[in-house]
This record gives sequence, C-alpha cells and structure tokens, in this order.
Amino acid sequence: MFGFGYGEGFPDHSIASLEPIDNDKILIRTSAADVGQGVKTVAVQIASEVLKLAPEHFVLSEGDTHITQNAGSTSATRQTYFTGHAVKEAAEDLLGNIYHYASQEFVTNHPEMGTKEGRVFSHVDPDQEMTIWQLRDKLADEGIELKGRGTFFPKTFKPDPETGQAEKVYVGYTFHSQVVEVAVDTITGEVTVEKAYSAVDIGQAINPQAVEGQIEGGTAQGLGMALMEEQIIEKGRTLNPDMSRYLVPTAVDTPEVETILIENEDNDGPFGAKGVGEPAMIATAPAIINAIHDAIGVRFYELPVTPEKIKEALANKEQ
Amino acid sequence: MKITFTINNKEKTVEVSPHQRLLDVIRKELGLTAAKEGCGKGECGACTVLLNGEPVASCLVLAPQADGAEILTVEGLLSEEGDIHPLQQAFLDAGAVQCGFCIPGTIMTSYRLLQEKANPERQEIREALAGNICRCTGYQKIIDAVELAAEKWQAGGEVQ
Repeated sequence: MFGFGYGEGFPDHSIASLEPIDNDKILIRTSAADVGQGVKTVAVQIASEVLKLAPEHFVLSEGDTHITQNAGSTSATRQTYFTGHAVKEAAEDLLGNIYHYASQEFVTNHPEMGTKEGRVFSHVDPDQEMTIWQLRDKLADEGIELKGRGTFFPKTFKPDPETGQAEKVYVGYTFHSQVVEVAVDTITGEVTVEKAYSAVDIGQAINPQAVEGQIEGGTAQGLGMALMEEQIIEKGRTLNPDMSRYLVPTAVDTPEVETILIENEDNDGPFGAKGVGEPAMIATAPAIINAIHDAIGVRFYELPVTPEKIKEALANKEQ
Repeated sequence: MKITFTINNKEKTVEVSPHQRLLDVIRKELGLTAAKEGCGKGECGACTVLLNGEPVASCLVLAPQADGAEILTVEGLLSEEGDIHPLQQAFLDAGAVQCGFCIPGTIMTSYRLLQEKANPERQEIREALAGNICRCTGYQKIIDAVELAAEKWQAGGEVQ
C-alpha cells in the first residue's frame, strides 16, 4: 500500500484553466511537469472526455509563472490525481460557461445544451448551433472572455505527533501486489528474475498503456534496488560514480511483467483515478527477497543481494 | 584539421580539433541534437549512432576517426517529406517512450538489429539492447516496439 499526495496537513493543490484559441483549439494551462510519466496526456484525455472534443484539438502550455498557476511538484505520485482533478474542474467550468452563454445566444431559457466535436447546440432546437470559437468571438465583442478555471485543494490531515495517526494521513492510497519467479545460480550466486506478475488497484486507469509503463519501469527499479544498486560512500566520496560500477538493470536483467489492473474507483479521484508512479516499485524488492528465500532457504536483511552475498550465505549454510 | 564524412546521406566537411568527440561534432557543429550525452564514457548508450553501419557510442569516437565515414542518426530516419520512420512510429504505438532520453540511441541500435535480423526473438532484442540503458520503462514496451516494427517489416512495410 502506498499513500500518495503530500498529505500530513500540507496545503497541497493544483490549478488549471482552459480557453479556446485560434479557430479550432483549446489551450490547457497547467504548470504540471511531465517527466515522461504522462500527466500531459492524462490532462488532454480528461479535457477531451468532458468537452466531447477529439484530443488533437488540445494544446498545452508550458509551466510558466507568467501564464500558469501552481500545479505543485511532479512527486509524491500526485499529478494525475491533483492536476487531473484541476483540469476536469476547469473543463467543466468552461463547459458550463459555453452552455450559459450559448443559451443566451440561442435566446432559450431551456438549460439542456450539448456539445459535439467543438459545436454547441440546444436540445430543444438542434438546428440552433455554433462552434465554441464562434461563441468566443461573439462574447469578445461584448467584452466577455470565454474560459474555464479549476482548482483542487483536498483537505489533508496532520498526524498526531504522539501516535502518528490521522483520519487520513495521505490523500489517497494505491494497493499493489506482486509475484515474482526467480532462479538462483548456486555456483555463481547470480539471481535471475524470470517473470513478474503485478496486480494494482489503480482506481481507474485513465491511460492503461501508460499505467503499464509505470508498473514495468517501477519493477525494473525495484529489481535494481534488490539485486544490484549500491552507492558506496567512503569518507564522503562516492567510490562508484558511474554506470560500470553502480549497476542499473539492463534489457537482459529485467523480466517480462504481466500487469493486471484492478479498477476499483476512488471516490475522490478524477474519474475514479489514483496515482501509480511510486507504488509501482515498492512491492518488487520484498517479492524478490521472499522468492530468494523460497529458492535457497536464506533470508537477507540488507540490500542489494549481490552474487557475493548469495555465495557467502550458501557457504555459511553448508558449514 | 578538416574532415569529410557523410551524415544522413549528406556530405559534410567540418573543421575539427584532433581531440574533439564525434558526439560534439554531430550535436554542436552540425546541430543534430537527437543523439544525447548521458554518461560520456560509453556506458549508457544514449549517444549511439551508426558509423559505417555499426552502432557506436559517439562519445568514445574521436572526430578524425569519422573522416571518410558514413554516419546515420535518428534525424536521418525521417522521410524526405519529414515523416517519421515506421520504427519510430512503432515506438509511439507501443508506448515505449517515457522521458525519451535514451530513445534516440535505442532506436539506432534497434534499427541495426532489424537490418541484421528481420524477425528477432524477444531475448535477441534484449541482448541487442543490453548496451542502451533506460531508467523509465523497464524495457518491456521498447521490446514490444521492436517486435511491432519487425512485424510491419515482415508485412512489407518499409524498414530499409
């Protein structure tokens, strides 16, 4: 289990806004940093879903304090949850404004409006329609700006300093179970992780391919932690500051990972989604160490379990 | 000193110093920034380019060694119209790119593998890519991408 978001009473939040630009685009303003995990893809998918407009119509701003407000850091497994929320709220605010002003343009007091592929129409008289961008231009003549803004400020709870307890210490919780198959070479001490199975309660996978990517990458990082990654520091100096001595897993070290997504919607997540970045890696090292125990009957308490440690443990066991 | 080589099918003559690295010539002199400097000591594979058809760590090649050579980088995979190569498309379709830093090197190694072997096994793809380190993906979707590109090739798609 992994608690994501800063939690612990921290005033964590994300703010986003949306506005029509050019003649067929919607600009999503967010300062959420995408380091490859895919928050920008998620933001576009969410806005696309709310506005019923194809993803190619959306463009994203870069994070810039002149043009965007705070989205918080890309850390604590929080961006899909926080910025996903802010973008969903912003898209709904924009949609609400589109309906409101379009109903005035259509001179109808009937509140039931719809949008499809960038056009807004009245359910009462579907012939009455205009594009979002035509509506923006008409409103601009009246000095009204068409846009939407969304914020997400979840309540967070400070833990009791005595007990460490709180009603909900983190913003949300992701559950991950992993099973690994390992082979231990008792002559060389080498451990091979042959296969991994992951089951993740992700709430709702906004982008299943990207979620799998997080799980597979997290598994590789957990494997490195379990079997090879060790920073050796002596008198304040790192003795292995390169990739030939600080080993990270390569393509021949990592297993095929079979990922099972459990989509048990989170009540507070955007479309039920939860975060998956860090929870992806925490199960792997314990699973590998348990599998080694199962294979050779030795339990290790220090990582990484290198071939030297395996050989030493096996030699001690024989004596 | 002056050296002349062909890069991405274009002949170039550049003034270099004898100790300059091929990676710097490609990135700084020619402005082709796909190949990346990761470790700078031939351990990570991010700077991989094809030199006379073989993948090399361009951070370990001295510029004068490239005199008269043929070099291919990711920029050279684009069609004349600027369309991305089917191998690049396969990386996008498979979701193989996260932060993307290793990808230009990974793609060049994969490209060479597919030239050599049209339909590699997953383990063969893993072994070919063992010198291209990726910290994000766990490699699975990169291997999926190379398989996908191989299938396209088998089906008559264009992987030259």
